Amino acid sequence: MGFFTDTTLCIGCKACEVACKEWNKLPSDGYEFTGESYDNTKELNGNSWRHVAFIEQLGQERDTSRWLMESDVCKHCTHAGCLDVCPTGAIIRTEFGTVVIQDDICNGCGYCVVACPFGVIGEKQEDHTMGKCTLCYDRLKVGEQPACAKACPTESIQFGVVDELRERAEKRLANVQARFAGAQLYLNDPNDGVGGGGSLFLLLDKPEVYGLPPNPIVPTKDLPLRWRTAGIAAALLFGAVVLCAAVRE
Amino acid sequence: MTQGYYGRPIVKPPAWSDLIPTYFFAGGLAGTAATLAFAERAAKNDRLARTLILGAAAGCAVSAFCLIADLKKPERFLHMLRVVKPTSPMSVGVYIFSAFSGSVFIAASSEVTGIARSAGRFFEAIAGIIGPIMSVYTSVLVGDTVMPAWYLPRKTLPLLFAATSASGAGAWGLLFAPARSNGSARRLAILGGTAMVAALQALHRELGPKQAEAYTKGEAGALARSARVLNISGIVCATLAKNSNALSKIAGALLLAGGLTERFAVYRAGCASAKDPKYVLEAQKA
Repeated sequence: MGFFTDTTLCIGCKACEVACKEWNKLPSDGYEFTGESYDNTKELNGNSWRHVAFIEQLGQERDTSRWLMESDVCKHCTHAGCLDVCPTGAIIRTEFGTVVIQDDICNGCGYCVVACPFGVIGEKQEDHTMGKCTLCYDRLKVGEQPACAKACPTESIQFGVVDELRERAEKRLANVQARFAGAQLYLNDPNDGVGGGGSLFLLLDKPEVYGLPPNPIVPTKDLPLRWRTAGIAAALLFGAVVLCAAVRE
Repeated sequence: MTQGYYGRPIVKPPAWSDLIPTYFFAGGLAGTAATLAFAERAAKNDRLARTLILGAAAGCAVSAFCLIADLKKPERFLHMLRVVKPTSPMSVGVYIFSAFSGSVFIAASSEVTGIARSAGRFFEAIAGIIGPIMSVYTSVLVGDTVMPAWYLPRKTLPLLFAATSASGAGAWGLLFAPARSNGSARRLAILGGTAMVAALQALHRELGPKQAEAYTKGEAGALARSARVLNISGIVCATLAKNSNALSKIAGALLLAGGLTERFAVYRAGCASAKDPKYVLEAQKA
């Protein structure tokens, strides 16, 4: 199961942020005023599992403008870096195909934080484990949809089976392409660097405009190569030590 | 001009404290010290072997403290041992570290107490063989992240980690063993120190000018420049230190300080490459 976030429909109401915080009992991030349009949440982290981005754009002649809004969330990657590197097995792939951190197993080592190509994961302030969107695992188990999708008043956040969402996203893109020159789908390609996302997006500009990586790659892709080069380095090191001990001046 | 979304990071910098680069230093030193101890034992230089196996034990003790203290939930340290995950260099590393430090502690205890000498020697050999893997696996651990400064130098980062470890183990021998028996430590310090300076240059080349800025600018750059001065001074002192206790100790201290500073420089470079989105955007340019 996954999300299709259609940013053309987002009105920036942040109902998703609030519904997520309420359902998952996540604490506030404080009341800092950023001055960055209407965004005072700033980022996804251990306490904010939905984050609405606001981008104000002016035309070249500064006579036209548009306001982009996008509700960001964990991508529930097909090839999930966080899941690969978690050393305790706290991060699992659920029966719904989603990626979930079990907070009774996580020991807060923080490896997942640096293995996520999207910067989604952070420390939860209250119990010091790592936190991110669970796609409302508890709600899915009883046949409900995630709190954010339920709360979204414009169906910008759509919940469903990923394959169906991909089809829906393609259709929607074809529909809006004529009106929005920069419209594009994000993470809908199963052959991209993370094997496609369980969360896909219809964006109106380049991914980096929304703070998303343009070409995300799961770090573990290179792991066999890395172990090989490290093995060579270790062999050289062993050789160097033996050489230093064998030479007698 | 700010890039991306209000110049905010695209990927998150590590949530780790400075205990982690300290661990990279201590663990790297311990690994190579154990290997040199093993080689010196075989060469019948018991005096230096003793200094080195005790150095490896000290390195392991510091490492264990750093690793556990840095967990956000230290009381759950043992959760690492509930699974074996080849896809996680940290999981693989926990087992490398456990096997290595266990062997080192047995060998060092036997060395100090004189009890069970043959078992001590056996585990000293085991530690010596695992040592180089202990010294370089951390390069895989940091390489397997999305920090551009760690992810991109695929070839040179393991060499840099190996060289820093060699320099550290040699420096330990210079500092704590008498000059008449520290010859191989001195050679390893000179070789490792030189390799460290060279590997960092090679790493800059592998990254290219734009990505190398993570290593040359800001706090990471300042640390790297300090490390370079310390390391080159240490290499010069070590070269002149033959049969001189005083110069040996100065060289050892300089290279230990240089190696530790180098570890922090690499660590800060990784953090810097996450904090400024330009590195991720440059790396992912179509």
